[in-house]
Amino acid sequence: MLPLCLAVLPWGILCGSLAVQNGFSALETQAMSLLVFAGSAQLVAIELMAGNTPLLTILFTTLIISSRHFLYGLAIRHKVIDQPFRWRLPVSFVLTDELFAFSHHRKAYRTKVRLIYALSAGFSFYIAWNIWTLLGIVAGSLLPDLTHLGLDFAIAATFIALVIPSVKNFATLATVITAGVVATLLKSQGFQLWLVTAALIAMTVGYLISRWQAKEEHTQ
Amino acid sequence: MMITILLMACITFFTRYLFLHRALPFKVGPKMQQFLSFSAPAVLTAIWVPIVFINDEGINLDWQNPYLSAAVVSVIVAYKTHNIYYTTLAGMGLFIILS
Repeated sequence: MLPLCLAVLPWGILCGSLAVQNGFSALETQAMSLLVFAGSAQLVAIELMAGNTPLLTILFTTLIISSRHFLYGLAIRHKVIDQPFRWRLPVSFVLTDELFAFSHHRKAYRTKVRLIYALSAGFSFYIAWNIWTLLGIVAGSLLPDLTHLGLDFAIAATFIALVIPSVKNFATLATVITAGVVATLLKSQGFQLWLVTAALIAMTVGYLISRWQAKEEHTQ
Repeated sequence: MMITILLMACITFFTRYLFLHRALPFKVGPKMQQFLSFSAPAVLTAIWVPIVFINDEGINLDWQNPYLSAAVVSVIVAYKTHNIYYTTLAGMGLFIILS
């Protein structure tokens, strides 16, 4: 989990400095990381709020970007649902892309040790994210434009590191390729629901291939 | 601005908590579970690939694009080492040199 805390450093700095340079106060910027705790939603919202976008548009965009969490919640529901509310509440608060990528162990969230492990990972991302945001606030008020340094590549590098090792069969490979191609095409066309649409199409491709392969094995 | 931030926080939390709420009366069956097992690679890839290929002008397939060459190196390092540190260091390092 330590490498992941460091990997979100450029992203946190980007978020903090972008907000400050767009006229957010230090308090508002930090509050956003403390309360919202969602990098991609924060980055987009900062740009929208700086452009005086109507509140409803900002909230709707946040919902669209965050809607991938519905998939995460569904995917870990059977592992978490038997735990008491006092565990489910903090787990859901820190259910980020990074934590979800670590949720695939069969016993994840199911034993006390695994729950504590997940929560320590989740809350260490939370603490790291907020420290990096603070660094970004400081850097953004001291240095000129930090936002064109290509800090967003750090996100790509981190997600490559999370995804590539998980590609162990043809179905997952097909999922990844479909997701990349469809997301790029839809996003470049300015389609608002590009992320969820691309993810659902790619998941369908992966699912159908894995079903088809299971059937082939069955008939042989 | 604080109000907007608070409302955003409610929305992100809602999307994270909803399906961990016990009173929702359904069970995720084995087929649905298999479908959902593809959500991590699908969502994460759908986030990172457009970062690499899309710039302000649109889709950029030029090899001079530092995002592209650094991403190719990151994929190779991730495939060979399965290590988050090496992958992000190699990718970011090359990216900073090229850009």
